[in-house]
Amino acid sequence: MTENPISDGLLRRLNTLQLVLAGIIIMAPMAWMVLSSLKPSFEVTAYPPTLVFSPTAENYSQLIKTTPFFSYAVNSLIVTIGSAGLGLLFGIPAAFAVSWTRISWPAILTLAARMAPGTLFLLPWYVMFRQVGLIGSYTALILSHAVITLPIVIWVLLPSFDNIPRSVFEAAQVDGCSITRILWRIALPLVGSGVAVAAILAFVFSWNYFLFALVLSNGDTKTLIAAAFNFVGEGSTNWGVLMAAATLIALPPLVLATLVQRWLVAGLTLGAVKG
Amino acid sequence: MASISIRNLVKRYGNFTVIRDLNLEIADHEFVVFVGPSGCGKSTLLRIIAGLEPITSGELYIGDDRVNGVPAARRDIAMVFQDYALYPHMRVYDNMSFALELRGVPKAEIDARVKRAAALLHIEPYLDRKPKELSGGQRQRVAMGRAIVRNPKAFLFDEPLSNLDAKLRGQVRAEIKALSQQLKTTMVFVTHDQVEAMTMADRIVVLQSGNVQQYDTPEAVYERPSNQFVAGFIGSPTMNFFPVELRGEGVALSHDGTAVALNGESKARLKNAGGKGVLGIRPEHFAIAPDAAEGMPVAIKLVEPLGSDTLIHFDLAGSTAIARVDPALRPRVGDRLALRPQPGKTHLFDADNGQVLS
Repeated sequence: MTENPISDGLLRRLNTLQLVLAGIIIMAPMAWMVLSSLKPSFEVTAYPPTLVFSPTAENYSQLIKTTPFFSYAVNSLIVTIGSAGLGLLFGIPAAFAVSWTRISWPAILTLAARMAPGTLFLLPWYVMFRQVGLIGSYTALILSHAVITLPIVIWVLLPSFDNIPRSVFEAAQVDGCSITRILWRIALPLVGSGVAVAAILAFVFSWNYFLFALVLSNGDTKTLIAAAFNFVGEGSTNWGVLMAAATLIALPPLVLATLVQRWLVAGLTLGAVKG
Repeated sequence: MASISIRNLVKRYGNFTVIRDLNLEIADHEFVVFVGPSGCGKSTLLRIIAGLEPITSGELYIGDDRVNGVPAARRDIAMVFQDYALYPHMRVYDNMSFALELRGVPKAEIDARVKRAAALLHIEPYLDRKPKELSGGQRQRVAMGRAIVRNPKAFLFDEPLSNLDAKLRGQVRAEIKALSQQLKTTMVFVTHDQVEAMTMADRIVVLQSGNVQQYDTPEAVYERPSNQFVAGFIGSPTMNFFPVELRGEGVALSHDGTAVALNGESKARLKNAGGKGVLGIRPEHFAIAPDAAEGMPVAIKLVEPLGSDTLIHFDLAGSTAIARVDPALRPRVGDRLALRPQPGKTHLFDADNGQVLS
């Protein structure tokens, strides 16, 4: 055996450096956004940027006073919870069916749909929803966002279901279970963390999705992310207020991800290594 | 409790035939063991009985009911799986009561049946535990308990001992046998281990390539194997085989002409087969010839003392053979012996198709 030319200590330091650099690249825009939201409006676009300043909640109070921010937030919650729920409702049985039958093309089809550009769906949907009078409705937004949530649920849960030994399902069959009962009584309780991860990811992806809400919503049903786009004015954009809005919009997914980060990692790596 | 009847059963996966035209009658209360090498179709056959694999053609009866196409859930069969297949999220009690609950058995009766089965299997202290908190042997008992509480028409066991260590395997084997005598239910047990087959079965089904080679009692399968495959598969160490032929008035090993002392009946059978065949001698059926001229001279090349007896390996007629001898002989490598088959303990097979010569 040849000795490793890089010592363990150096390797650890390089590893740390790599993580710090990755952290800076990921966190810098977010830090910029949060700091800018706390700056007085004249300092937000100052050049060179000010690093020392007196923090103020002025942008936040202006955001709440001048926009129906909470209405948009409620819209976002309705659409996100609705589409995540819809994704789970159909995605759980779909993932189980794919795992049970080992026929994977339906799952691949949903993945292809997820990978296709949103505009591909948008135009036909717009026409279809307009014809049935659903443009601007929560229904249209929830249904369209299900295209985002359904593949996530299926693909997060598929390895979880695959990871359950087949014999456990067969034992349940011999015990007298129908397939439906096997799903609810045996399989689902065993993939609890997977379901939680799928639900969180579906929530986050739907919450962050911009395009469908931009076109299919109206003033009453606009989601936060679509509404924030309207804060960018053609002539004078109030960057401080926009940063405050962006900070608040980013908060729920960040809080969710932080709260369940261990679970998230465990759920996402499920099936990668047999226990 | 019920008999199981398999008639002209065929199982194919695409173009690959796993079981071909198999017929089998398992009597009510009988303990039948399917034994055979890997890929012989024994587990597939068991899964077909359970309803976990569809039948390609043929008929399957459990009791008087034709169950082709009847789902596993409605066959009233209990099965113990190789990996136990316990429900990981349920307590031992719930694992055992689950099937009864599905059938709408009243709670009080479920409780009584679970506790009775737990007492029978000595798993009462573990009823509140989850399967991951149990050892392999305890899980095995829970899996059996789950089957017992249901009081099914038949129990199916799919190599349930293969994940246990040797000591535990022997213990659980004896427990299953005792249980079968106590429960008096039809039991079908799959194993590749011929010791398990011999020790547990009322009757053994020896399978090879999806065909039944022999279906008989353990004693008959051991003493009167129907062909060379069965003879070689049952018994440990395996039976020794030597091509033999009639030479003049005697019988000789074809390879080097060494004379073998066989009785007149064996010679007659050999003569009927055209004077050639395969002689089978189990290791325990060699004897030391009192007179060196009457035996086959061998030189010991390996000695395996087992305590109760000793195995000696030697070359005979171009192949390595094994004999089981009295340890008091204290054989050593290099020792020369004259061996002869014990009278009436030899087997003769057709040199072409391996069937026993009659």
